[in-house]
Amino acid sequence: MDDLEKKVVDLIAEVLVDVNKENIQMNSKIVEDLGAESLDIYDMIALLEDEFGLEITDEEVEKIQTVQDVADFIKEHHKAS
Amino acid sequence: MQHRVAVTGMGMVTCLGSGVKANWEAVTTGRSGIGPITFFNSERFATRIAGEVKGNFDPEGYIPAKELRRMDRYQHFALVAAGEAIKDSGIKFPPEDPWRCGVVVGSGIGGLASIENGHNMLLQNGPKRVPPLMIPMVVINLVPGILSIKYGFKGPNFGVVNACTSGSSAIGEAYRLVREGRADLVLAGGTEAVVTPLGIAAFNALRALSTRNDAPEKASRPFDADRNGFVISEGAGMMVLESYTHALARGAVIHGEIVGYGATDDAFHFVMPDPEGEGAYRSMKLAVEDAGISPGEIGYINAHGTSTELNDKMETSAIKRLMGPDHERKVAISSTKSMTGHLIGAAGAVEAIYSLMAIKTGIIPPTVNLETPDPDCDLDYTPNKAAVRDVEYAMSNSFAFGGQNASLVLKRYSENGKGAHRS
Repeated sequence: MDDLEKKVVDLIAEVLVDVNKENIQMNSKIVEDLGAESLDIYDMIALLEDEFGLEITDEEVEKIQTVQDVADFIKEHHKAS
Repeated sequence: MQHRVAVTGMGMVTCLGSGVKANWEAVTTGRSGIGPITFFNSERFATRIAGEVKGNFDPEGYIPAKELRRMDRYQHFALVAAGEAIKDSGIKFPPEDPWRCGVVVGSGIGGLASIENGHNMLLQNGPKRVPPLMIPMVVINLVPGILSIKYGFKGPNFGVVNACTSGSSAIGEAYRLVREGRADLVLAGGTEAVVTPLGIAAFNALRALSTRNDAPEKASRPFDADRNGFVISEGAGMMVLESYTHALARGAVIHGEIVGYGATDDAFHFVMPDPEGEGAYRSMKLAVEDAGISPGEIGYINAHGTSTELNDKMETSAIKRLMGPDHERKVAISSTKSMTGHLIGAAGAVEAIYSLMAIKTGIIPPTVNLETPDPDCDLDYTPNKAAVRDVEYAMSNSFAFGGQNASLVLKRYSENGKGAHRS
């Protein structure tokens, strides 16, 4: 895991406090594996947007499934900006 | 059929500490919890003092980790006070009949800090940055909602919004639910957390708060001629109310009973009390009548006693009218707000607990800072030192901006006590 990926895991763990952080893998599916509900996702998006200074539209959220997807999205949009 | 209403659980968090025990030690020794504001830089504010809840106020861990970020401070306080009250009640989970267990919680303003934060985000970063959980953090009925989820109570459930009377109104309405047989058990109380920049600025704009910034512990001085406004504070108080038969059946420890509740409105002015005290008097009178006793049987009154001239004079004259010349100087009165400050929507709940503790322990907490009595306030306010007194009935008063008045009558528990006319 690189620094950005670690940061993403930290932020997800902050929202999903019931999930043991060691169980959050890059290939974990956020809903199926980690048990996030819709409110958790909105909460997560708000945190990620604040942390990385970007905007994630609802359409883009639909495409994100795994922790890796989140990290990739941020890397891509970080570069672009 | 009317049921006797037992108090089987109590919990609180105030600027004096977490838990009924710590609070009772503090108020009976006359300790003030008021200090300089530390939550934000109050340099430019007329008032720079408050009763802040400091440090770790949840030593028992009643707030689930996930809820720390997702709830406002006033919701945290409610969880902590409710946790203590429920633990104290010894009720087993899951409840036997969840549909017969309710929750009623009052708050004056709700999640003010979350409104301020959300508004800041809106102005600074735009509408998309407003926190997704702001609404559930703000609205008051989420408190009884959260508690119903936590404890599985599926019966009557609502919030009460009655400014400084919210806590008393919540306990009073919960008492009625149990008395009338609409619930067997109700978790009831009040919670508030408005020591925030906007909260202090707004109460300052109304010229309601004391500005005795150089002597915080001396600032809340009910019935004293040198008072100059109330001192705002924060926290929560919760009680478990239960029908007597339900409490007996499960072998619960009964702390005392609630036997009377009166509620009126002044219909006078939106923030000033009616100086004639008609509404306050009627509220107390209704509560005493509801209890089926005469006013002279009240041994202790926990006054609303805000440390504002209007309230203190009005409340004094209303108490005189209620008690009559034979009893007005015999009843022990005190304002615990002299030590806790004014917890707004939590005040009535916290003070109902202090009233019951006075009955249980035979100790009347003092009104501290009563050094130069206001000549118009000439009753026994238990000045500066706790008193020892055998009390069978106590009354707790709350009066609000908006003119709402509520009075509760609490009674010492005895198996064959009066009030047996209610089985």
